[in-house]
Amino acid sequence: MSTARRLFFCALALTAGWPALGAADGTKHDLYLTANLSGQAGVLGRSGPALNGLYRSTDRATFEHLGPHHIRLFTLTSDPAERGTLYVAALDGVLRTRDGGKSWRTLTSWDMTEPKEIAFDPHAPGRIYASLPDGIALSTDHGQTWQRGNEGIRQAYTHAMIVDRTQAGRVLAGTEKGIFLSEDGAKSWRLVQATDKVTYDLKQSPHDPKVFLAVTSSNGALWSGDGGRTWTRIAGISTANTLHYADFDVHDANRLLVCGWNTGLQLSEDGGKTWTDRGAGLPNRDVWSAAFDPDAAGRIFAAPQLAPLHVSDDNGRTWRPVQFEKATVFDLVFLPRP
Amino acid sequence: MNPRCFFILLAGLFGTAGLSAQPSFTGAAPVPGVVQDAAVRRADYLQRRAEVLQWRVGLVKPGEPATFGLGEIAAKLALHQEAEACSARLIELMQKPSGDMFWMFPVTCISYLGRDQLTPAAKAAVREAWRTYFPLRGDTENHWTMYYTTLYLMAQLWPDEPGERWFNGKSSAEITAESRAWLLQWMDLTTTIGQGEYDCTHYIGEYSIPMLYLATWAQDPAMRQRGRMMLDYVMADYTVETLNGIYVGAHARTDDVTVLEKWNGLASFFGWMMLGNCPPPANYGGWGLFFAVVAENYELPEVIYRIGTDRNGSYTHFERKRTRHRWRNSDVRNAPVYKTTHVTSDYALGSDQGGLLQPIQQHSWDLTWAVPDPRGVHNTIFSTQPFYGAEELMMYFTEMPDSMPAAVTFQGKPTYIAESKLLGGSPYEQIFQQDDTLISLTDVADTAPHKQVNGFFSKDLTRIEEDASGWIFAQGGKAYIAYRPLAAYEWRPIEKGGKRLYSPHAKNGTILQAAAASEFKGWDDFKARIRALPLEIKLTPAPRVAFTSLRGRKIECAYGAAPRVDGRTIDYAKEWKLFSGPYLNADIGSRRLTMTHGRLTRVLDFNTLTITDAVRP
Repeated sequence: MSTARRLFFCALALTAGWPALGAADGTKHDLYLTANLSGQAGVLGRSGPALNGLYRSTDRATFEHLGPHHIRLFTLTSDPAERGTLYVAALDGVLRTRDGGKSWRTLTSWDMTEPKEIAFDPHAPGRIYASLPDGIALSTDHGQTWQRGNEGIRQAYTHAMIVDRTQAGRVLAGTEKGIFLSEDGAKSWRLVQATDKVTYDLKQSPHDPKVFLAVTSSNGALWSGDGGRTWTRIAGISTANTLHYADFDVHDANRLLVCGWNTGLQLSEDGGKTWTDRGAGLPNRDVWSAAFDPDAAGRIFAAPQLAPLHVSDDNGRTWRPVQFEKATVFDLVFLPRP
Repeated sequence: MNPRCFFILLAGLFGTAGLSAQPSFTGAAPVPGVVQDAAVRRADYLQRRAEVLQWRVGLVKPGEPATFGLGEIAAKLALHQEAEACSARLIELMQKPSGDMFWMFPVTCISYLGRDQLTPAAKAAVREAWRTYFPLRGDTENHWTMYYTTLYLMAQLWPDEPGERWFNGKSSAEITAESRAWLLQWMDLTTTIGQGEYDCTHYIGEYSIPMLYLATWAQDPAMRQRGRMMLDYVMADYTVETLNGIYVGAHARTDDVTVLEKWNGLASFFGWMMLGNCPPPANYGGWGLFFAVVAENYELPEVIYRIGTDRNGSYTHFERKRTRHRWRNSDVRNAPVYKTTHVTSDYALGSDQGGLLQPIQQHSWDLTWAVPDPRGVHNTIFSTQPFYGAEELMMYFTEMPDSMPAAVTFQGKPTYIAESKLLGGSPYEQIFQQDDTLISLTDVADTAPHKQVNGFFSKDLTRIEEDASGWIFAQGGKAYIAYRPLAAYEWRPIEKGGKRLYSPHAKNGTILQAAAASEFKGWDDFKARIRALPLEIKLTPAPRVAFTSLRGRKIECAYGAAPRVDGRTIDYAKEWKLFSGPYLNADIGSRRLTMTHGRLTRVLDFNTLTITDAVRP
């Protein structure tokens, strides 16, 4: 065993010795990850020992493999009307499990491939949006049938997708050419913010539903205070790098984070006015995903490229590895415990 | 994934290859010729099939389960040998499935070959694996062809089953409908605007083998007929661009080995099997086995056989293909690809129009010369503008941009970001070919990762002379070659032999004129004739060449403008059909391919699903 591997497993052993994170009463969310553990050589058709796919942690310390051994599960969410049902945007389409990953159904057909994000409309049960590399897919029956919903969007590569929780049918989509807004359930779209390249994440503030945060490939991070109608660039975030992920802290209306390639983890504690680099304790500056723990103030999970999943209990000032040795965690999300 | 990766994968999946006799690989190279007697041709073909199967079953070593993999099981079942042992081993292998569509493919083959041979327990193990193992659909045309062909056939094998019995939760009926819909859509795209992964030196197998399986095992007569017709289509598409079985010219995808040693790809397995005019690659190309196991169910139509082997003089063949699906950085889903291939008995020159037409493994042009034995020979010359980048990868893949270029180098494409690379297309290259003359112009942006042209000069060129005129004269086999770099250059060694013309200038290009040695009194005559050809070169503000070829055609190319020949502007969109030339002809959108050789004609009409053969009196 190499020295590096020894150190890694020592670190994990130390982690295991700590009290299970979030095991205390009051934990309302489970942590889910979609992970590729096969490294850069992990390509289609190649076998390997790593168990890729969907993981869940109920205690923030141990992780259970739930879902298909799959190197390209991009993001996941659950049905707000049926919390135990998970939906995963995967290379093969939209996947669904109703039994905790024991069995899966691919909901989409050959004509919809490689969705990147799935969003439910909390005001319209069964209504699902999925971003596709060639547009937007819409289902009104919990994914049993799908139709296209990207009328008016040219060069329709769509990555980020979010439904405004305050209004049925109000949807924002992050595309190759900018952020589009629909207020009629994806029947029509209008460009509300042009971008040079793709918008990779869109988040709505848990504190103020009019506040949205977007991160992009070449236009940095964008802020909207009017429900996504208008956007302004956040001055403290560089436009030089591709940003992957953004999050609001449910415990503090002024705390938010963004992460991405060559970006580490940038944290703001004043509502985005100023930013602090909190990636110094991570093993590299390429961070795929990061999220605040909704059940523990000050705790952040982050997923650096080809490295262990890391956790911080002091808002990113210090970090420690918590799981995996060499992972690409595409998505890291807390879902309400069913 | 390139062929070497496939071989590694296959070795893992099917045991250690290469330990058993491969007489056609190790023996004397076949002498190209025409076997006139159809019965003899058929017997030769079946003998080759038998050779592949015998080789494969010979790999199994008693007491060494690792040598008894899916390939060996398929070979044994094809020969009706040791069904009990095959069953027992299959049960073991089904415990740890891996390989996605590359697992589905052999398992489908085994399931059909073993319908009346495998034990109930073995069949049950296979059935359970298709419930519990979640193979990925993939992200390329060849992945999907394998995936949906095998799903179609397995749903046919296990009809009327509910979603709970399948890994993807879909019922047999749903799987059948989805698979059929994709296969029909792929066939329709291919026969109207061209194949996306066109003319691949390896992936030809990933299309032809599924089509053979449909032709063999589909119960629906229409799907069976489609499989048969598409197999003819793919074989005709390959054969017309071969030189003694070697796939020549521009390819959507090749690899670092085959781009130099042109014979060394799975395509040559089909040349050996069908045309009998080249040796098979080592291990019969890996996947060749999975064609061989059911090869008796296909007979290459005589018209295709003769297109590949019985040519009366040189010809120029034109094709219109398409790019893979473009997801980002493009206004169009599938951009057109315009190919030109000029073939003589001594050499072939083939090209596309340049640009980023495919990700990573595109090969835009080369001259290939005929050799008596192609094994180990780099019988080709070409130039490239080495390019890589997230922009290209984002166009053709849906993944996040920044991790992709480095990741590609770990995924069987080690040269992807290298400045010395000889594989891949460039957005800064424009190519035009007229007969056996080619002009490539480059105007590389300041932001490009490499601002140079790489020219490949083979270890197997028998002459290389740098002439004071600026031409480099070379000879490969019986082909005389005049190569004109448009800017200053230096030579750099190539690890695998030969040397690289390194020309570090953004405004640049290559002119290549090929000819047969037999056309000249001698070497000096050739050089004198080339030197005398009218040639104007301007590199600023953009590269521009006016060249009168050996064939007397005045070719004018300017970067950023349509080429002109004898004063006429070339309009690719209007002039390039799906296929045109003396042997293959099809209009865009027609779904109808006409193959012609001498008195023979075969028409594949996908509108009516009919094959019509005719022999002219």
